[in-house]
Amino acid sequence: MPVPPEQTTKQQREARRAEKVALLKKKQARDKRNLILGLVGGGAVVLAVIGLVIAVIAVNAVPKVDPQSIEVEGLQTFDNLPANHVDTAVDYAAEYDMTPPAGGNHAPVWLNCGIYTEAVPNENAVHDLEHGAVWVTYDPAVVTGDALTSLQDKMKSTYMVLSPFEGLPSPVVASAWGNQVQLDGADDPELTQFVNKFWKASTAPEPGAPCTGGIDGPGKIS
Amino acid sequence: MAPEKSPNRTGRGRLAIAALVVVALVGVGAFAIGRLSAPVVSAPSTLSVEAGFARDMQVHHDQAVELSFIIRDLTDADDVRTLAYDIARTQSQQSGQMYGWLTEWNLPQAEAEPSMTWMTRPPLTGTSAHDHDPTSSAHTPGEPMPGLATAEQIAELKTLTGVAAEKDFLTLMIAHHKGGVEMAEALLERSTDRVETDFARGIVKAQTSEIDLMENMLAERN
Repeated sequence: MPVPPEQTTKQQREARRAEKVALLKKKQARDKRNLILGLVGGGAVVLAVIGLVIAVIAVNAVPKVDPQSIEVEGLQTFDNLPANHVDTAVDYAAEYDMTPPAGGNHAPVWLNCGIYTEAVPNENAVHDLEHGAVWVTYDPAVVTGDALTSLQDKMKSTYMVLSPFEGLPSPVVASAWGNQVQLDGADDPELTQFVNKFWKASTAPEPGAPCTGGIDGPGKIS
Repeated sequence: MAPEKSPNRTGRGRLAIAALVVVALVGVGAFAIGRLSAPVVSAPSTLSVEAGFARDMQVHHDQAVELSFIIRDLTDADDVRTLAYDIARTQSQQSGQMYGWLTEWNLPQAEAEPSMTWMTRPPLTGTSAHDHDPTSSAHTPGEPMPGLATAEQIAELKTLTGVAAEKDFLTLMIAHHKGGVEMAEALLERSTDRVETDFARGIVKAQTSEIDLMENMLAERN
């Protein structure tokens, strides 16, 4: 085997330098590659996070339909109401501090749901609230003519009572068992919210129990 | 020795960054999978045909119960009283099932759009075609449900007794059942929900045979 000729000191120095230069270039190339990988990977993670945040916001921006999540502005609640059947008159304002009534003791027979043009007996109407109905009352001195017609048009065919009520704190008040909201009129957006949240809802003690087959009050028009 | 430490340190740094990126990617990926797969198993929406059927059919069933109790108070005829008892018990129970679905789906019992709107939606392709004229099942949103008795018809029934009341009840209930079958078939043409389609098939079968029974009972009285 031929022995390579001995390198001179100069040659050896040049070879080492060339080796170093090659190493340095390699390192530079590796660093560049790592930088690109890091930027691309990091960018992808950032984009994914932004996309997910947007997706979550979009999903949650859909209006709430779960009755438990629906919020009614100005909602008043009455807790721990009794639900006994009584044959005597009940003074709901004095006993429960509510006008109009939104639950409590009530008559054995319920009022047939529907639209009334005269005041209905409180004790029978409260029985409807126990069965999951929404009772909409209006101040007959304020809500008349077209305003009354549009309120009547808002009523559902069942599980709703509409009747005039003297001395209301607002033009219209909607009541369900243990819950009440004061409203400006038929177009008050909180009326729809209240109905979606409480109509036949399980917040009443007996939702779906009858609101027909009871008694009619005076002035029932439908 | 400084020149040796430096590559070690950057190596550890890179490893840490890589680990963080992996953790972030796995976290984001897992979150995305959970979030994006959720709608697949989600319940029917508030505007779905399933929700529309469950709301409208409750109203429809509740009236059948009401009519059945009315006739039981107006006649002593055993066959009619037994039929009325059967209808009242069956349809109360079914109404409760539909109530429960909406609760389970976290949806309001209150309809999100006028009644019958779901029946105006196009049928699914590939569902069993029915022979009836397609225009006959075309409904207008908000119009009364098929077969539902009017308030005047119910008031008139209450004025009758004996055979006259039985004939009136049978006539109303035949129309009521035909409407119920029509609604159940409309659901079957538009839904693949297993529980609800099983329920609707049961209604089509049972109410179709009850229509035959009632037509025979009516014929006996003419």
